[in-house]
Amino acid sequence: MSTLLSESHVSQIAAFNGIKVFHIKSQKFKTNSINIFFHDDLSKERATKNALLPAVLRRGCEGYPTIRDISLKLEELYGAVFDCGVTKKGESQIIQFYLEYVSDKYAKSDANLTQKTFDLLLSIITKPIVENNAFKAEYVEQESKNLKEMIEGRVNDKVQYAVEKCLEEMCKNEPFGIYDYGSVEDLAKINAQNLYEHYKYFLETLPMYVFIFGDLDDGQIKYIIDGLSGIKRGNIKVVGKTGIESKAGDVKDITERMNVTQGKLCLGFRTNISPDSNDYYKLMVYNSILGGGLHSKLFQNVREKAGLAYYVFSRLEKFKGLMVISSGIEIGNRDKAMEIIKNQLEDIKNGNISDYEYEASIKSMETGIKSLKDSQLQVVDFYLSQHIIGTDDGPNDMIEKIKQVTKKDVVDIAGKIQLDTVYFLTSLE
Amino acid sequence: MDIKTVEYKNVDEVMYVHEHQSGLKTFVIPKKGYSKKYATFATHYGSINNEFSLNGGKDVIRVPDGIAHFLEHKLFEQKDGSVMDKFSKLGSNPNAYTGFAQTVYLFSCTDRFKENFELLLTFVQNPHITEESVEKEKHIIGQEIRMYNDNANWRVFFNLLDAFYEKNPVKIDIAGSIESISKINKDVLYTCYNTFYHPSNMMVLVVGDVEPSEVFSQVEENIDSKGQVPEIKRIFPEEPERIRKEYVEQKLAVSMPLFQMGFKDTIFNTKGIECLKREIAVKILLDMIMGRSSELYNRLYNEGLINNSFDFDYSIEESYAYSAFGGESADPFAVRDRVVEEIRNIKSKGLDQNSYERIRRAMSGRFIKQLNSIERISHMFISVYFKDVNMFDYFNVYENMSFDYVKKVFDEHFNFDNLALSVINPA
Repeated sequence: MSTLLSESHVSQIAAFNGIKVFHIKSQKFKTNSINIFFHDDLSKERATKNALLPAVLRRGCEGYPTIRDISLKLEELYGAVFDCGVTKKGESQIIQFYLEYVSDKYAKSDANLTQKTFDLLLSIITKPIVENNAFKAEYVEQESKNLKEMIEGRVNDKVQYAVEKCLEEMCKNEPFGIYDYGSVEDLAKINAQNLYEHYKYFLETLPMYVFIFGDLDDGQIKYIIDGLSGIKRGNIKVVGKTGIESKAGDVKDITERMNVTQGKLCLGFRTNISPDSNDYYKLMVYNSILGGGLHSKLFQNVREKAGLAYYVFSRLEKFKGLMVISSGIEIGNRDKAMEIIKNQLEDIKNGNISDYEYEASIKSMETGIKSLKDSQLQVVDFYLSQHIIGTDDGPNDMIEKIKQVTKKDVVDIAGKIQLDTVYFLTSLE
Repeated sequence: MDIKTVEYKNVDEVMYVHEHQSGLKTFVIPKKGYSKKYATFATHYGSINNEFSLNGGKDVIRVPDGIAHFLEHKLFEQKDGSVMDKFSKLGSNPNAYTGFAQTVYLFSCTDRFKENFELLLTFVQNPHITEESVEKEKHIIGQEIRMYNDNANWRVFFNLLDAFYEKNPVKIDIAGSIESISKINKDVLYTCYNTFYHPSNMMVLVVGDVEPSEVFSQVEENIDSKGQVPEIKRIFPEEPERIRKEYVEQKLAVSMPLFQMGFKDTIFNTKGIECLKREIAVKILLDMIMGRSSELYNRLYNEGLINNSFDFDYSIEESYAYSAFGGESADPFAVRDRVVEEIRNIKSKGLDQNSYERIRRAMSGRFIKQLNSIERISHMFISVYFKDVNMFDYFNVYENMSFDYVKKVFDEHFNFDNLALSVINPA
């Protein structure tokens, strides 16, 4: 029965050629998953190329040269799911390849799903379609167009767009200001040749993290490790740490106009707190009291008392030490909303934190952290994040540290947090 | 206490069922080793029930659009303040959502399940609605409506329903409009509550590492039998078989056109397993015709007419059914023409049995994957429950589906006279 609880433990089972392999052995789920992450610095030179790479790789590989061939194979393998994409964690860019398939007991005994799905995943990553020492030109052109549409399509989701835009404007002159998927401007410079050159750098030098989740036996694990050892690797790059900048100067005020009926108000803050410091746990409690749920000051005052908004929250970008407050409001209520938000920030600074707000915040975080163990992807994301930060704290350690935070700690933290940028998305006049 | 146990050995799940004397059924699906416990209390009442009659059909009542959703918001207010605070004190997350045919109240917690569960059962049974709080809620819901009005994905979908339907209330936004909610008051909210929130019209579901008999004891203790069972008659307007419009368009702040299109189905008033069979048959067909392994998808993708956002779905309820598929495209009309051409082509040459078998097996594997998630189980369970279907039947329907049936559904569903297209163009 001990395996049932193993979502709280991750074992590093191998490390070679800049590839770290972790196994989370668990019988809780009906599927197994394999996640392969490549880790790079978030940089203007490479962000767009890194974003385009998985899109091109997923188009086809040796043995499965089209999307159709890959999809047919996945369907045959009991509806295995493959996906890929990029995200940023602070000033790190993460390129992810993900595979999930049903456990052996739900397939025929000779199905060998682990071997077959892993072979496919490895082929997609390491055996792309190459013509004249370049990627297939057609694939690169089409995926460049798709990526351009995706970058331009960010405006389609106004809630998310407003938050991201606020943080990007705030960090314009830092690597964090780069969008996860790069820029249209840089995309124009990419072709099948230089992307293939970049691919070699990507595959040979970027640190890799591999997370295997599920009840795999030693033979299956060995099969995966052998496959990974076959990847040709060179000198492994040392990826930098995200810089936590502090703020100097006036608050930036940005207004963007679009054809919308609701205003989106976002406030970006510098917390000056690094995620590997002890202060980070205090910051988590601070954020929860301010805007981390139904119990929070923002929800209670902006929505429940004043009725100004349907949604209002605050959220941390922990890697970069940022915090953002976001709310959708009637356009004419901007000043009123600003005043109430500022009052909440002042209240915490002045120690006006009720027992209810404090206790509900701690409990809500405890519930959140315990809950992540119920999702393979969330467990994997948790451990990947901890690795990037460089801390060994597991979910239970985190809960313990959060519980030790006092109201006074929260008030102390409040003094460190500085408003940097106010962003307002509003209608065309 | 009478407890029924149903085992689903092929997917390693067990379901426990208990029926309260009020008619309320409670289901427990234990998930060993999970941290989260997820409980829902749902009523068979949603946004489409804006007309109904009481007293055996004598009094017909037409209520303002968006009222089921408004009521959902208002139930959180209790005599002694907001129930959200009480959940928050326990460290749990309460939530609720209103669909076309149901309203669902829920919480998820990791600790103190008993207290949370009692809170859920109690607050849903004890409304405390005041005129003052109704007026304040109009502002909050007004902002929710505005948020959806600016949401292109939401608009493109509801515009498609508006193209399909002449009168069916499914075409109306779940939250209603700023105008329609302005007419809502305390009395009409109570009328809806008293009609649709009798335990006999409701269900309880708990998914997580819990002891079923304890859950049922709590239900026994906390459910009020409330005497008479209201005789509800849900009234749906006569709806023509044909679509209302072939094409609808709206302009919003988007970077490129968004589209949704689909077929209005004329066969839907089936309940029980038949309903599930049809749903799965159409979903298999959509996957065969335009899924990632289809020739059509690959042609459209290679020509740049669709991108990764392309997706498809089918919905079937007691008063309507439709398929919907779409995404982003520079030329939605070209996509429509290609889809029509491909379906014509399949009509003449016949469906491919090999791809049918392959997709059926893949869908069954993907169903198993969903059983990993407590939220997914709860959501799926409730979405089919009021159609008299049990979620675990999906697996059997996949296993027992026949190619002949799928061929029959293909001939019925893909009727070009009932194909509509909705587009959001950049403003």
